[in-house]
Amino acid sequence: MGFPFRVDARLVSALAIFLPALFVAGCGTSVERMDTAEVKDLSGAWNDTDSRLVSEEMIQDVLSRDWLLEFTRKHNKKPAVIVGEVLNLSHEHVNVNTFTADMERALINSGKVQFVASKGERGEVREERKDQDIHAAEATRKPMGQELGADYMLKGTINTILDTSGSSQVRYYQVDLTLIGLADNVKAWVGQKKIKKLVKRGNLRY
Amino acid sequence: MRARRGIVTFPLLAGPLFAAMLLFAGCATYSDSFSVIENDMAAQRFEAALQELERQRHPARDQVVYLLNKAMLERMKGDFTVSNRTFEAAKSRMEELYGLSLREQALSVVVNDATRSYAGEEFERVLVHLYIALNYLQLGDLTNARVEALQVDERLREITQKLPQNRYTEDALARYLTGMIYEERGEYSDAMIAYRKAYEAYREYRRKYFVDIPDTLKRDLLRLAQQMGLTGEMQQYQNEFHITHWMSTAELAQQGELVFLLHDGLAPIKREHAVTVVDPASGHLVRIAVPYYETRPTPVNRVRVMAGSSVASAEVAEDISAIAFKDLETKMPAITARALARAVLKAQMAKAARENARQQNQNNAGAAVAAMAVEIAGVVTERADTRSWLTLPSRIHLARLPLPPGNYAVKVDLLGDDGRIVSTREYANIVLRRGAKTYLSLHWIPPYVPTRRSR
Repeated sequence: MGFPFRVDARLVSALAIFLPALFVAGCGTSVERMDTAEVKDLSGAWNDTDSRLVSEEMIQDVLSRDWLLEFTRKHNKKPAVIVGEVLNLSHEHVNVNTFTADMERALINSGKVQFVASKGERGEVREERKDQDIHAAEATRKPMGQELGADYMLKGTINTILDTSGSSQVRYYQVDLTLIGLADNVKAWVGQKKIKKLVKRGNLRY
Repeated sequence: MRARRGIVTFPLLAGPLFAAMLLFAGCATYSDSFSVIENDMAAQRFEAALQELERQRHPARDQVVYLLNKAMLERMKGDFTVSNRTFEAAKSRMEELYGLSLREQALSVVVNDATRSYAGEEFERVLVHLYIALNYLQLGDLTNARVEALQVDERLREITQKLPQNRYTEDALARYLTGMIYEERGEYSDAMIAYRKAYEAYREYRRKYFVDIPDTLKRDLLRLAQQMGLTGEMQQYQNEFHITHWMSTAELAQQGELVFLLHDGLAPIKREHAVTVVDPASGHLVRIAVPYYETRPTPVNRVRVMAGSSVASAEVAEDISAIAFKDLETKMPAITARALARAVLKAQMAKAARENARQQNQNNAGAAVAAMAVEIAGVVTERADTRSWLTLPSRIHLARLPLPPGNYAVKVDLLGDDGRIVSTREYANIVLRRGAKTYLSLHWIPPYVPTRRSR
């Protein structure tokens, strides 16, 4: 069993120098502070920039529409909103809390809308109220059954469409948010944000 | 002194090859180190198995297998949330390994295949999504399970694009599970598509792995075809399956449903098959090492699930052993070709080293030792790549029991070939809610005889 071709000794030597160099390559951890508005896309997946773009668009839209004015005129008070579920129908595990929290903050700070604690948040508050009933002084005790009922519920969905070929992929995200009147199921506002990205995966790595 | 000088004069080859030898050949192949963990799993000591796994050394190139095994053990322990976090880490590591590394390709030709980063076989990459989805389902998180269902679809599409038709390009159980997720959410058209794809995949499975279409899937197809008014398709299924009665969507919505999955045994383990011979023409040592799968048989033949007054038999829904065997079979030509190329290159390096030693000085013992070292290193570093996701089960059995909503005590009997009970498991207080599915998983690993070491 002989070998069909020869390998030059110099080539082998060159390989020999090259090989050990491969084992020692390495580097320490480095941390760099970034501005939160800076765009940095690493994997192409949903990230902080997408969340920020969605909240910016939605906030701007929800505050500029007629529903707010109409409600205030009709009822002579600020509408109270509760955050419902934003259904993630996308192919990624997206954290929807970031932009719903952004929206909540912007709406409250605008002074035009009130927010009531959502389903997840109010449990602990109610617990505390129950506790006050037994332990708190009469003057400071908060009675039960005095919660502010919401006028609207903020609900939404995130959907995605992917188109992949080889190492390129087009990712399309669509976020839809709606404000639904709790009294009459009427949709008072619908906001939409679309995001499209072209992601190319490297065919080579270290 | 002379010997020292010899090595110094010819350090170029001996140095790195020795280094490579120390790095890769000092230890046994990957799969050999797993028997302790296997025994712990058989005794249902998942915490101990996890500790043993943590204790072992996991170089960066084995990160994916390490994470997969870790996540699976966490799942067996019942830590579904923690398990999913680890699975996600495995997934992103796999994603990082998408590109081709020239450095690793070079190493795999010069040293061995195990020096490459392990990114998972295709079927392992799909099963990651299946297990993440199951974790979510067992946590009762249908929305996140749906996210995984979409990822299954995406992953299978990617594999189909890349591989020829005769390879593993569809996963029947993964498709089936995505169908169940969509149906529970009331997304009937998506569910129908998933069930159809599962049906197609099971037809392939029957041909390739002798796994039949589960009876429950036949009923799902009939129910949804009826629900969506696809009369022609419904009749076609009816003629094919010879089923006349099934539960309609409305009837099923009034019931709760128990979905039981038995993760039976362990997937086959890769071992090394190596041949070392002296090449008569040149007098060089030549070694070729390739992997092969060793089955880890399981005694379970039938699974009986009892809840309330209902009894159901679980059906084999996925034969991971069969898939793994077939997968390695189709990859073997490429693995063998690489092993041969390596043998050629290593022999040439050894030859070059010898000639160099001869040219340097006839009496220089150091150079001769160095040349010998190159040859030995070349032989010793020839190891097969025996890495695989070792905590995967050999087979997955599936049973579905539609029952009136309520609290149930569930009993599961695992029966052997002779119909005798191999093992029994009881669950108290399984809650079935109206119109919802309750998922229950059992990982059962038979006590294996201590695994053989490869030669």
